Amino acid sequence: MIYLPIAEMPVNVLLVLLVSGGVGFMSGMVGVGGGFIMTPSLMFLGVPPPVAVATGASQIAATSFSGIMAQTRRKSVDWRMGMLLSIGGVLGSVSGVWLFERLLHFGQLDLIVSLLYLILLASVGFLMVREAYHVWRGRAVKGVSILRRPVKTMAHTLPLRMRFPRSGLYISVIPPLALGFGIGGLAAIMGIGGGFILIPAMIYLLRMPTNVVIGTSLFQVLIITSLIVVLQSTATQTVDLVLAALLMLGGVVGAQMGARLGAGLKSEHLRAVLGALLLIASAKFLWDLVIPPTEPYVLRGLW
Amino acid sequence: MRRLAALLALLLLAAPAAAQTSDVASDLPAAVAEEQITVSSDYRGSYVTVFGVNPDRRGRGDIVVVVRGPSESATVMRKRRVLGLWMNGDPVQFSEAPTFFAVLSNRPLRQIASPQSIWRYQLDPAASAQLDSAVPQGGDPSAYRAALVRLRRQQGLYQEYSGRAAPDQRGGLTLYQGGLFRAVVRLPANAPIAQYYADTYLFRDGRLISAQRIPISISRVGVERRIHDLATNYSFLYGILTVLLALAAGWVAAFLFRRT
Repeated sequence: MIYLPIAEMPVNVLLVLLVSGGVGFMSGMVGVGGGFIMTPSLMFLGVPPPVAVATGASQIAATSFSGIMAQTRRKSVDWRMGMLLSIGGVLGSVSGVWLFERLLHFGQLDLIVSLLYLILLASVGFLMVREAYHVWRGRAVKGVSILRRPVKTMAHTLPLRMRFPRSGLYISVIPPLALGFGIGGLAAIMGIGGGFILIPAMIYLLRMPTNVVIGTSLFQVLIITSLIVVLQSTATQTVDLVLAALLMLGGVVGAQMGARLGAGLKSEHLRAVLGALLLIASAKFLWDLVIPPTEPYVLRGLW
Repeated sequence: MRRLAALLALLLLAAPAAAQTSDVASDLPAAVAEEQITVSSDYRGSYVTVFGVNPDRRGRGDIVVVVRGPSESATVMRKRRVLGLWMNGDPVQFSEAPTFFAVLSNRPLRQIASPQSIWRYQLDPAASAQLDSAVPQGGDPSAYRAALVRLRRQQGLYQEYSGRAAPDQRGGLTLYQGGLFRAVVRLPANAPIAQYYADTYLFRDGRLISAQRIPISISRVGVERRIHDLATNYSFLYGILTVLLALAAGWVAAFLFRRT
């Protein structure tokens, strides 16, 4: 047991390491960030939601930085695109932290966070299960066709176009800015990195080549989560350094073990299992929102 | 002179919480075993022990001990169904509600003091919560007050005990021969870290005879204190520090990952 100085509660060190290690393990194996599993898990352990969201961001910063180190060696970061996404993301997360504080003030933070998690977990879980099903049935996933990029999207027709040599694109700056803004806002409110939304959006909307997508999204995630940590510690003072250190340790070790073990396993099986887990978690969120509560009153005092 | 100074000190200390006890004597000898409770990284809550002697030679009267945490504003909301989803609505604010409240007595409080005295001397948590904003239409103020007490009781922040501690209880008050009494209550780890007060009351025939207030300070020490001070006083620096820690952790991980 160790006492957390900001959350003002004792937690079981082994349990936190186990949870963060488990989340890191899964993310290393399947290749998703894991913030959207980590934050609800912390709340489940009894960490107050504001602390869970703000502290979870620091752990995502750590894992995304170690990811970037590997990606830069492979020259797979489009810095110009990353900067543009980050500018949008900075504005988005500033608005997100402001909205977070407002929702906390009006007592609706838990409802909005639950709803967003419900939608997010259900849709990502559904996509993963569907993809795994298609692979299992031997059918190619439709998304493969985007590798030939003749199709023009909105990104190509809007004004203020700019060249992105690393991605081989000549597109408007508005979609990357808007995308960064949306992800930044979600990250601030939900305590997620947003990579699992950002990556499909970069492929389908911006038509970026897949080899630079991961590195570039990691760059944006790092900038956004670092900013959120600083903003939350100044605005709401909900970042717990002791909890953050435990999460980083567990997450980093878990991710390494997961990545090594995942290499020897069939990824569609992993995705199917994770997808099913996400669907179950989203059902739990839905259940809590729909069934009549046993305690009709809620208290908002210390948090 | 010493008596006057003590009375003056009592008046100053007693200011908001136990305001109306100034008209009674303060000749109730009492003390706490833990005047300083320190919170370090292995803190898992603490016990508060209050002991004292009933000044009545024949041991007449009843003892009530209240351990109070600081009062803070609290909001109670009632869940409402909107579009099939349960959301928080109808907020009611309490300008003052104790963050910790434990009341211990040698027999049930209702037999010791009248409802008026309980209200006047704030001897139960409901009596200590000051309703601030208007209750929404159709709402019942006492239901909100009861909900506040119920929810805080579930968190272990409000506790009520009468008689000696049973083995499965976390607190109790025991009377010994010669008027000696001892009250023990468990302070859970989620109770706020702040200045607490232990108030001891002597009732006889339903009337308050004597009262005494003893401060108990709970404070962080060591690393816990340094981290908390940094987070509150230099929050920007603290945020930067957390990010640097994250970068260092990520760098170390990437380094190890490449090696193996």
